[in-house]
Amino acid sequence: MNFRLLDGIRRNSSALEVDHIESFAQGRINRRQFIQRGSVIGLSMPFMGAVIAACGGSESQSSSGASNLNAKVKPGGVLKIANQKPSGPIDPIAMDNLGAYTVASIPLEYLCGPGEGAVLAPMLAEKWAPNADGSVWTFNLRKGVKWHDGTPFTSADVVATLDRLSEAGLKASIAKGAAVAKDETTVEVTLLAADGNFPYLVSNWNPQALITPVAFVAGSTVDQMKVGTGPYKLDKFDAATGCTFVRNDDWWGGKPNLDGVEIVFSDSPDTQIQGLLGGAVHAVVQFPVIGGEAVFAQGDKFLVEGIQGASHRQIWMNVREGNFADKKVRQAIAYGLDRDAIIANVLRGKGDLGNDHPIAPVYEFFDKSQPQRKRDVEKAKQLLKEAGKEGLAITCHVVDLQEISRTAELVKSQLAEIGMNITLNVESTDTVYDSTNEPAGCDGGEEFGIVDYGNRATPDVYLGKAYATGEWNSAHFNNAEFNGAFKEYQASLDTAGRAKAAKKLQTIASEEVPYAIPYFVNSLTAYDKNVGGIKQTGLGHYYLGKAGFIK
Amino acid sequence: MRRFLISRLISAVITLLLVATFVFVIVKVLPGNPGRQMLGPQAPESEVVKLNERLGLNRSFVDQYFSSMRDLVTLRFGDSFRTGDNVMGLVRPALWRSVKLAMLALVITIPLGIWAGVFAARRQDKLADRTVVMAGLTTSSIPDFVTAVVISSVFCVTWRIGHVFATPPAGSNIFTQFNYLIWPALAMVVLYFGYIARMTRAGVINALQADYVRTATMKGLSAGDVMRTHVLRNALAPTITVISTQVGYLLGAIIGVERVFNYQGIGLTITDAVKAKDIPVLQGTVVLVALVYVVASLLADLLIAYLNPRVRLGGAK
Repeated sequence: MNFRLLDGIRRNSSALEVDHIESFAQGRINRRQFIQRGSVIGLSMPFMGAVIAACGGSESQSSSGASNLNAKVKPGGVLKIANQKPSGPIDPIAMDNLGAYTVASIPLEYLCGPGEGAVLAPMLAEKWAPNADGSVWTFNLRKGVKWHDGTPFTSADVVATLDRLSEAGLKASIAKGAAVAKDETTVEVTLLAADGNFPYLVSNWNPQALITPVAFVAGSTVDQMKVGTGPYKLDKFDAATGCTFVRNDDWWGGKPNLDGVEIVFSDSPDTQIQGLLGGAVHAVVQFPVIGGEAVFAQGDKFLVEGIQGASHRQIWMNVREGNFADKKVRQAIAYGLDRDAIIANVLRGKGDLGNDHPIAPVYEFFDKSQPQRKRDVEKAKQLLKEAGKEGLAITCHVVDLQEISRTAELVKSQLAEIGMNITLNVESTDTVYDSTNEPAGCDGGEEFGIVDYGNRATPDVYLGKAYATGEWNSAHFNNAEFNGAFKEYQASLDTAGRAKAAKKLQTIASEEVPYAIPYFVNSLTAYDKNVGGIKQTGLGHYYLGKAGFIK
Repeated sequence: MRRFLISRLISAVITLLLVATFVFVIVKVLPGNPGRQMLGPQAPESEVVKLNERLGLNRSFVDQYFSSMRDLVTLRFGDSFRTGDNVMGLVRPALWRSVKLAMLALVITIPLGIWAGVFAARRQDKLADRTVVMAGLTTSSIPDFVTAVVISSVFCVTWRIGHVFATPPAGSNIFTQFNYLIWPALAMVVLYFGYIARMTRAGVINALQADYVRTATMKGLSAGDVMRTHVLRNALAPTITVISTQVGYLLGAIIGVERVFNYQGIGLTITDAVKAKDIPVLQGTVVLVALVYVVASLLADLLIAYLNPRVRLGGAK
């Protein structure tokens, strides 16, 4: 370790930065976690490189698995991508599905963009930093950026976007007027409460946080406004079949490699995979393990990338009233699940064990000391008996997405062994997510069901929206101790503080079981080996700024 | 003929009204709040109420029924709950795509099926006849999506001589469109070839045994003239009826083929509308498919009447 260099770095750093450097220097977090967290609090890559060098490491990051991310590509060509059909209008603020995220994030961009893994990289913001307690964040915007219509991008656009988001996806974090333009390229954001992870909420990890022009009218859609700052401009859009994009020669990142991008919509993963195998498309944004065997089998032609992440499935149970009001019934279900069997059969091993809380093993503050819940049929039966729910017969509402209906079949057969009689009601995403018949299926309208949660760099969305008092709280879970721990977690800027809060959250969630979470699933994408520079970001949607064909 | 035409038109209108009434009642029975669905979960309740009033959803059931019938007559189905676009703007391209695919399938199937039926009938109970009958039975008993998967996997994925996705690029010429559509069309040809061939065969066998055919042959007419003028005119009536009923099916119910080839025709549009509870689109597509079905049946009746005067005269009395 180069102590002289490290001391020099420490002297010029804020208290928050020093704490983070110390965590790394003392081995409490590894290099990947150091870079990931450093990117969130606004440390630049050269700065982090210096710290790593001072601590005796190499600053280069390792890439997990086979990837063409950094392959040399040549200019030209149109990249064709198969993508889930958006389940509604592509309103960048209100969209709620991967199909829409992929389309919207090609012409539009975020303040903070995707780096390696969960690391944040500069996008429309070049730099950002918090104040001492993480309640105010300052973003320095990139200069010389233009909207696709030639209008300059300024801080006014960011302020207007954050004002719109304060009444939508960011209402738990900021109030209207929270963002203030200090000058043309500086925006200061004052949060409702300190949040050490706020940059994630204005990054690709929060897909609705795309920056839109000051003139954007809430409720407009991407195909109506046809503007953005991204590498490709929307050319044609057809909600039924797909859309095309053309190169934006004025992009701030330089001339993009591809002449254009074509997105083909399809709701069937089998059809999408068939399209990849038959050469109709070069890439499939996301596909399930089951049904995708042919892609794995042709490893010489296609690259499959899997992101180990926090994407998971929640088996929700209404804790407020009905059959699951007694905690013993919920625990019985948790003990009735054979998680290893589900991962082996449904995911072909491409997942991590869940322990009935949403804090995934990939998070640096995940508490490994918590015992893993294992199947115990006798205990589950006993719990049901004590709760007076032996032979409980109930309908389970299952979202028809990826592997989930297969998981539901296994859950049904496993819980039959503890005496439960489950009727599966597999419903479309629209039906389950739909807020029309309020409250909708997964928004608390049904007492028992299975729904998906996409990958996030931090568990804030899960903890806030599903567990605390959020709008996705299917279980109607409201636990003062849990809510307090969540606040503690959000306010923690240092790793130790977050780990302490996470431990409490894990313990309470596992004990109370408003949601049984059997596993965390890897997000899989596949593309032709002749394609390089595709980056699959947090929720599975692509970043195509560097994409191109290798030959 | 005029009386025949008028009676058929009246029955067509009654059929359409019944379909429209059925769809209206179903829509009213289904739960949902159109205003909320169109404005989204974030919209204030007052705006939702206003929109529902503007859509006329606060009026009486009878008022809404007559208003709905008027809109159906003028083919105004409102806006999609899912995308906010005008329903006709969404349904028209889907219907056109389905029409193109169905037409291509029919252009191949009808002559092929009729030829095979005549070929088999003239060789009744011989090997050729048995082969056609068995082939027809086999192909028509395989579900269309299975045939589609096989065609897609063999021709489009393994041999790469076809397009896995059947939607041609925008602005494609007719040859390119043919190149894209031929593969899903073949899946439909495989299914319907058997029906048409067997129906034609049965009709031709019956006609060949009729007295008027024997008379025509004894008059010294050539075999070709007998077949064209006397046999086919009488034998094709059931075949035409089958074809007309299949037109509606080909347009609206080939969801499996459309899904395999990722072809956004009317079948997939109906499926999407059902999944998303997009009532206006569901209404529009169902009524349009019914309209096409009724028109096809009407045309078939007219064609049969033209070929066979006994039909337009009210049958043999």
